[in-house]
Amino acid sequence: MTGAGAVAAAAPAGVPVPSWWGVALSLALVAIAGFVVLRARLGLTRELAVAAVRAAVQLTVVGYLLSLIFTHTGIPGSLGWVAAMVLIAGRVGARRGRGLPRAQLIATCSVGLATAATLGLLVGSGVISSRPIVVIPIGGMVVNAAMTATSVTMLRLRDEVASSRRQVEARLALGLPGAEAFSPHARAALRTSLAPQIDSASTVGLIALPGAMTGLIIAGVSPELAIRYQIIVVYLGLGAAAMAAVTVVTLGQRLLFDEAHRMRPLET
Amino acid sequence: MPDLSKPLFRLDGVTVRRGDAQPLRELSLDIAPGVATLLVGPSGAGKSTLLRLLNRLEEPSEGSVSLHGQPLPGYDVLGLRRRVGMLQQAPVLLEPTILEDLRLGRPELSREEATALLERVGLDFPVDRPTDGLSGGEAQRVCLARALAVGPEVMLLDEPTSALDSFAAATVEAAVRALLADGISVVMVSHDLRQARRLADEVVVLIDGRTAASGPAAEVLDGGSADVRRFLAGAT
Repeated sequence: MTGAGAVAAAAPAGVPVPSWWGVALSLALVAIAGFVVLRARLGLTRELAVAAVRAAVQLTVVGYLLSLIFTHTGIPGSLGWVAAMVLIAGRVGARRGRGLPRAQLIATCSVGLATAATLGLLVGSGVISSRPIVVIPIGGMVVNAAMTATSVTMLRLRDEVASSRRQVEARLALGLPGAEAFSPHARAALRTSLAPQIDSASTVGLIALPGAMTGLIIAGVSPELAIRYQIIVVYLGLGAAAMAAVTVVTLGQRLLFDEAHRMRPLET
Repeated sequence: MPDLSKPLFRLDGVTVRRGDAQPLRELSLDIAPGVATLLVGPSGAGKSTLLRLLNRLEEPSEGSVSLHGQPLPGYDVLGLRRRVGMLQQAPVLLEPTILEDLRLGRPELSREEATALLERVGLDFPVDRPTDGLSGGEAQRVCLARALAVGPEVMLLDEPTSALDSFAAATVEAAVRALLADGISVVMVSHDLRQARRLADEVVVLIDGRTAASGPAAEVLDGGSADVRRFLAGAT
């Protein structure tokens, strides 16, 4: 993995990288924002300062950790990194579905399954490289797409559970199984959670240049080559989002009902 | 025809706990087949909880509920709910047309069967009529027809007329009488004692999650303990 280490350890020739002084200077932008917030008495000054410090600390730690992984750990290290991202994303996703039975399990399984299936397919088939410098950033984008879809679907699912008890019980009372009684509400949750993902894929490149493409262009790759990565990333994101949302709903539907096909109450 | 010599439902020492609340306490009760049993009592007495135990939308924390002598968990729960139909307090129509709604529990229902079901509940509607725009009483009777489509032997009715005006309530009551004439047993929650006098063969008075009185309608409604008399006096 020495090749990967060389790439990570120093910027390739010709790629403009800001110095630490430049980074410090960009802090002036936060100071301007802070001044505006302070003058307008929004009460957000402290939050803004904390966010700015957190961003710098988190990214610095991540940068050095990634350098270590790229240089020393190879594939096991990158798998570990992706797994950690899945666990964190599962916690974030579960927060939106608070009250649903086994929310943490549903969210983590959904992000994990969506990431493993989509990333695994493309790495396994050799479409993208298994080197850590590829798997970790692309994995991050996949986990992020899966997490967003999971969060929105959990939120929608919880809302459907809270608002549809009478309709669901009307179906249960006719002898319909729990999953079938809930299926119109599951479909509604899926539709509304996937619509933004589809919208964002259909406008990609028109509104803002997406992350992978931006990174490659800054690193000196020509735009017509960079789009190949970006197209794959968009498809990965769409696939992961759809898979995560479907998993949330499928698992949710199972865990929402007990063995006597009764809808469990939302936990408080 | 149901075996009239044995109870339809038997509740034996049933307690339901929900957190600190205890909607039903050590309640024992027989419900007879082939008749209309009305559950009356003040709000929060546990009437709806009792009804929901009978099709396992609720489970007792203690005690047992049996149907024809067999404990409910011994039945396949989906089959049980087809034998023990339920009508909710406010009508819940789920599909865009009456026919689709009636087919929810029985997808193979023909148009002719759907028309016959509507007639049974006193509605003379084309089956393709949209469910939007039905009055409360019409909607409640479509819900009743939907429950009848799966062929229940008992109907559980949870204050089915409480959201309706008196004319609409009378049409629903007529449909309930037709059920009894067809041999379908009825267990109904009501807060209306005049309705109880009109419809009930048997009355169960629940107060604080316990049976305060039960028996033939005339006996219970015209007598009973001091608690029952106080409730009946307040409710009339």
